[in-house]
Amino acid sequence: MSKKLVNAIADMKEEEALNIAKKMVEDGSDPTAIVDAAREAMDIVGQRYEKGEYFLPELMLAGEMMAQITEMIKPELAKMPEVKRFGKVLIGTVEGDIHDIGKNIVTFMLDVNGFEVLDLGVDVPPQKFVETIKKFKPQVIALSGFLTLAFDAMKETVGAIEAAGLRDDVQIMVGGGQVNEEISKYAGADAYGKDAMAGVTLAKKWTGAK
Amino acid sequence: MGSKRPGPKQASRTKVIACATVIEEMLSHLPPSVEYCVLDFGLHVNPEVLKGALQETIDASATSADTILLGYGLCSQAVVGLRANGCTLVVPKVDDCIAIFLGSEQAYKAQHRAEPGTYYMTKGWIEAGDSPFGEFSDMVEQYGEEKARYLMGKLLKNYTRLALINTGEYELDRYRDYCQCTAQQFNLRYEEIPGSCTLIKKLLRGPWDDEFVVAHPGETITYMDFKRNTRKHENHR
Repeated sequence: MSKKLVNAIADMKEEEALNIAKKMVEDGSDPTAIVDAAREAMDIVGQRYEKGEYFLPELMLAGEMMAQITEMIKPELAKMPEVKRFGKVLIGTVEGDIHDIGKNIVTFMLDVNGFEVLDLGVDVPPQKFVETIKKFKPQVIALSGFLTLAFDAMKETVGAIEAAGLRDDVQIMVGGGQVNEEISKYAGADAYGKDAMAGVTLAKKWTGAK
Repeated sequence: MGSKRPGPKQASRTKVIACATVIEEMLSHLPPSVEYCVLDFGLHVNPEVLKGALQETIDASATSADTILLGYGLCSQAVVGLRANGCTLVVPKVDDCIAIFLGSEQAYKAQHRAEPGTYYMTKGWIEAGDSPFGEFSDMVEQYGEEKARYLMGKLLKNYTRLALINTGEYELDRYRDYCQCTAQQFNLRYEEIPGSCTLIKKLLRGPWDDEFVVAHPGETITYMDFKRNTRKHENHR
């Protein structure tokens, strides 16, 4: 059943995917199995996007299916014993950039991989990150940006975190668009993630999650 | 180096390699003696592919030119890593072509700061059809009208303004109509903003000052070239 769910999501068969997920919930399947299937499907979608087989609409459609499935299983997940969270991640698209399709996928992937994620949305000023770090106390900061114009905003955000004396309390990853190792260094971040799973791997490494 | 900034040398062999959208704005300023080569606009979607196409075109042109002017910007880092043996490469020090149309990186940043959720349009962009608006009909075909509208809504969720850049290079009526209709269809505010050919003229005639990245023969264009005021080795001259 979960294999069918993986395929339906990965092949963009929205109605079928939602029906399968609904049936799994009704049949009393372990909700984590549904989450795992969604995660596996998202990985396939990501690979197809990278190969140029899928484009932005498919990424959005997949994101939409994820959101609906997550909503569907929430009541079931709530019945389960408290899931231990690996750590806290603060995420947002930096100031001057309003793109969020990639960021939303990273947020979803971090969430289903056991992180408590706070998403500040798009066009987030550096000071907003600083203020939220003080209250939310995350171990990991994820800065997203699609435009090359955003690279300077990433640098400014890291600079603001440093100026607030918070730099040593957090690990910072950057990602999105054409972000690479050089941009990570330019921004003063600790690392970059080339895709959502790379972001999850970094967060796990930094929080000591197994 | 004297106080005069470099520009094209007298009787130098200059070639232009430009994106299809940029050449539209360049043609009326091109001296007749300058050869130009146009690359497909669609290449920008995949910066690695664009980089490959640019390097190939540069290699083919470098033997018969002293200077190659690139009608591009940083363009998702597609120009990073480019080099020409035996000829100089000049590229505007801008993030992308929007800055070229607006006349400077400064003008682009001012527009961007004022309203980050802006979708910019020019004749070249509209004619290439390579925008979510141009692709909408394909989405309708693939997913049906309702789903396509829903996806467009998601795609444009954070966009508020559709700005047509009036560069004064051509009759704008058709493009204005198109943009006004599109803005209305997708619930964006339409605005016409002034463009400028200043940067294009400067690219073609010099001086190549701090608004340009100049890679001398054999040098590779780097990301940091776009962030520095002047190229490192010029300081040692």
